[in-house]
Amino acid sequence: MDYEAIVIGAGLGGVSCASLLAKNGLKTLVLEQSDIIGGCCSTFEHKGYKFDTGASIVMVSDPLEKFFEMAGKPREDYIDLIPCDPIYSFITADGRRFTVPTDIDETSDIIEAIAPEDVEGWKSFCALGKGMFDTMSDMMTTPMNTMTEALAMQLKFPSMYHYMPYFLRSHLGVTRSFFKHPTIQATVAFQSYYAGAPPELGMGMMGFIALMEHLGITYPRGGMIAIPEGMARLGREYGMELRTKSKVDKILLEDKKVRGVRLADGTEITSKIVVSNLNAKVTYFKLIGAENLSSWANKAIDSYDLAMPCPMVYVGLDARPELEAHHTMQTPSVQESNDAWNYCYSKGTIPEKSGCLVSWTTESDPELAPEGHHALNVVYGGPVPYAPLGDNWDLLKDDIREGVIKKMEEVIQPDIADHIDELFISTPLDFERRLLNPHGAIYGLFLDITTSAMFRPNPRSRAIKNLYLAGASTGMGGGVPTTIASGVITSNYIVQDHG
Amino acid sequence: MSKNAKRIIGMGTLAGMVIAYLSLDESTRRYLAHIGKQVPYLPYRYWI
Repeated sequence: MDYEAIVIGAGLGGVSCASLLAKNGLKTLVLEQSDIIGGCCSTFEHKGYKFDTGASIVMVSDPLEKFFEMAGKPREDYIDLIPCDPIYSFITADGRRFTVPTDIDETSDIIEAIAPEDVEGWKSFCALGKGMFDTMSDMMTTPMNTMTEALAMQLKFPSMYHYMPYFLRSHLGVTRSFFKHPTIQATVAFQSYYAGAPPELGMGMMGFIALMEHLGITYPRGGMIAIPEGMARLGREYGMELRTKSKVDKILLEDKKVRGVRLADGTEITSKIVVSNLNAKVTYFKLIGAENLSSWANKAIDSYDLAMPCPMVYVGLDARPELEAHHTMQTPSVQESNDAWNYCYSKGTIPEKSGCLVSWTTESDPELAPEGHHALNVVYGGPVPYAPLGDNWDLLKDDIREGVIKKMEEVIQPDIADHIDELFISTPLDFERRLLNPHGAIYGLFLDITTSAMFRPNPRSRAIKNLYLAGASTGMGGGVPTTIASGVITSNYIVQDHG
Repeated sequence: MSKNAKRIIGMGTLAGMVIAYLSLDESTRRYLAHIGKQVPYLPYRYWI
């Protein structure tokens, strides 16, 4: 065998898993099809600006800290995390603008000014959420991919059953159980929408993201790519090999057991273990092939829907924007988010009315743009269908350009167009071309309680021996902490099985 | 318990469930309907 482990894809799940395998003495190779690593958590240079591909913040750094603890190295030596405070500036559907700081008591004062009836709800929400996070501190990196593991988790965290009703409800259900005012509900319920599911279908646990942010959010110095690069540097110190521009075409099998991979140029590399950091549908249907799977496995993979994709717009400015926080969120009302899903997304049309999310990265790290300039990443219009009815994303770019400028005039400042130095667009189709995410779904598979944890594709494949999965298609879905956690969990499985 | 009593209890439970479902708001109904549609796939998803 050429290697003991091959990891396909250098996203956060792939790099974290590969680095820990190398630390555990396995001869490990990472194959990345792009010329830069990180997948959706990456940064690229364009005319002096550095833009983040997708992810724009680190919330809940526990899995990252766990990764470095397991690797036996201090995180500070590899990744510098800059605290971001305030967390968000909100522009809500009723025209209010307010900025939310990290401090929970100060946030309480803001809620009191908008909706005094929700102050008690906020206090209960924080008390319950903090209790949950304290008692289940390393929950994210604890596997829950089988009934046995779920039982072990219950024994490890006996108070978990208190929180079960919140796990079973929808994101909107959890939000409504604490907050009554539509403006406050909208600021808590938008998170699942930006993870690719409407609030009324998203996981109840996502409701607590609104609290997690108050426990501290950070931005890595050098852009989001600093995270995968820091982890890869550590992996290389332990002997991990990483090749970019190396696209894998096929996972090679022998008697339903992996034996290596074949690259797009025809090169075959053998390995006892293969870890795929790609979307599970791509892994099973394209790299393994439906013909090599049982009808049971085919039915399982086929049953997953993809998460909704989002168009991203990268903007370089020659002046400081009139913003107050790293993130500015123009949030639609809960009703608008649900309607966008029920009446637009599911019918293949783009909602006319929707919000946007502006990440002002140079607020946290000025080095990401030339002196006096600023870089913005704009999630324009929120999640959309992959194939808009009757049109192609490439043909819609002029409309998006016009729409995003209008939106920035509304959200940032009226003369923003005079300060635009660079503006380019990445549609779901571009994400599919660049990152190979089917339908541009950067969050992988749709996430609800029927497609998470033990009902999401198992990191230790039950269909193909010695095939492992990491990334957004496993465990708790997409996002920086969850994909790093998935890499940690998968590496633990491999060390248990082959270490 | 007589057969009729069992039948009455069964029908009462069913009627109660229908009333409870109808008393839910539209979002919760859509959530339950969505989850209900996914249930048949759970055994497949567990064993992949």
